[in-house]
Amino acid sequence: MAVLQKSMIFSLMGTLATSWLLLIALWAQEAEALPITSHCKLDASKFEPYITNRTFMMAKEASLADNNTDVRLIGDELFRGVSTEDRCYLMKQVLNFTVGEVLLPQSDSFQPYMKEVVSFLEMLSNELRTCHISGNDQHIQKNVQTLKETVKTLGEGGEIKAIGEVDLLFMSLRNACV
Amino acid sequence: MVPKHCFLGFLIMFFLTSATGTQPAHVPLKPQKVQFQSRNFHNVLRWQPGSALSSNGSVYFVQYKMYGQRQWKDKKDCWGTTKLFCDLTNETSGLYEPYYGRVMTAWAGSHSAWSRTPRFIPSWETKLDPPVVTVTLVNASLLVLLRVPELPYINQNGKNASMEIYYDLVYRVFIINNVLDKEQKAYEGTQRTVEIKGLAPHSSYCIVAELYQLMLNRRSPRSDKRCVKIP
Repeated sequence: MAVLQKSMIFSLMGTLATSWLLLIALWAQEAEALPITSHCKLDASKFEPYITNRTFMMAKEASLADNNTDVRLIGDELFRGVSTEDRCYLMKQVLNFTVGEVLLPQSDSFQPYMKEVVSFLEMLSNELRTCHISGNDQHIQKNVQTLKETVKTLGEGGEIKAIGEVDLLFMSLRNACV
Repeated sequence: MVPKHCFLGFLIMFFLTSATGTQPAHVPLKPQKVQFQSRNFHNVLRWQPGSALSSNGSVYFVQYKMYGQRQWKDKKDCWGTTKLFCDLTNETSGLYEPYYGRVMTAWAGSHSAWSRTPRFIPSWETKLDPPVVTVTLVNASLLVLLRVPELPYINQNGKNASMEIYYDLVYRVFIINNVLDKEQKAYEGTQRTVEIKGLAPHSSYCIVAELYQLMLNRRSPRSDKRCVKIP
């Protein structure tokens, strides 16, 4: 009787252990799957009218100071060869560059819009922290690099241009990620 | 009139392309306040004469382009025009694209420099007209029909494309109870036909509507009131 009970307990424990192992395995598999799944998504509610207006006001003001009408940073050339599903990832790169290399260094200008717009864009950048794409992103990096070089080549004018295009950045992020 | 303009246009182009170093006798001032005025996506370039002196007898030359393009394009219909406006609706049909326009004037044989507009994105700048409202009484409820300003663009079916497809736009319908003098939002959405039920008999109501641009929190002016008495 006691032996029978003991073996029952053992088999019960065995089942429990197996289920545990199975659960852990499943969990591990899911965890492993995480980086492959892209999180290139922004919630539409993030793009509120107030900040939308402020972004456009800032772009408008900066674009008045941009007399180079021939060169556009965020346009067809930026998206050339990039599939629709990879565009959010592309825009993430442009966003991070614009915030880090253009807006923050220029944060004293275009007040009071700059402060609000930068915080907003930093929030979007944070949301896209885990946005990755599977496979090769060389062609995307190439397009982003062209944009970066254009800004650098134009110097101060390039930074003004980039600020003058925050409305285009805003719209492209919305189109690509929502 | 037209051949004269063409000749003048030729003259101007001759001056431009030959890039002469001669100083013309009368240098007309360039056009002032060059800007787009946009209503229901009909985008019209407007300007003012550079000086009172040249306001009579001046001709104007209009060019346009999308931001980022290198080449300016001539607007043929407004090449040597005496008017102070030029319709660029078809040339600026990308709702979210940035455009530029510019104007140059010629007077008494000399030409001005170009005056350029600020960057123009139709969606941000356009002013929308209110919807036109028709109200009919069906049994004890109101049937509200909304007619919206039509986009100037023609879609594949050859019909005028509807605004709400291209644009983040909703209709808002308000109902005013005349006895209580109270206004209530009865509807917000993209349908053009709205039925309002549950109205008190023997009272009178008025309906008013507006267009609401979600993304920018902007509204059109309100429509005319349409009033109905419930029997």
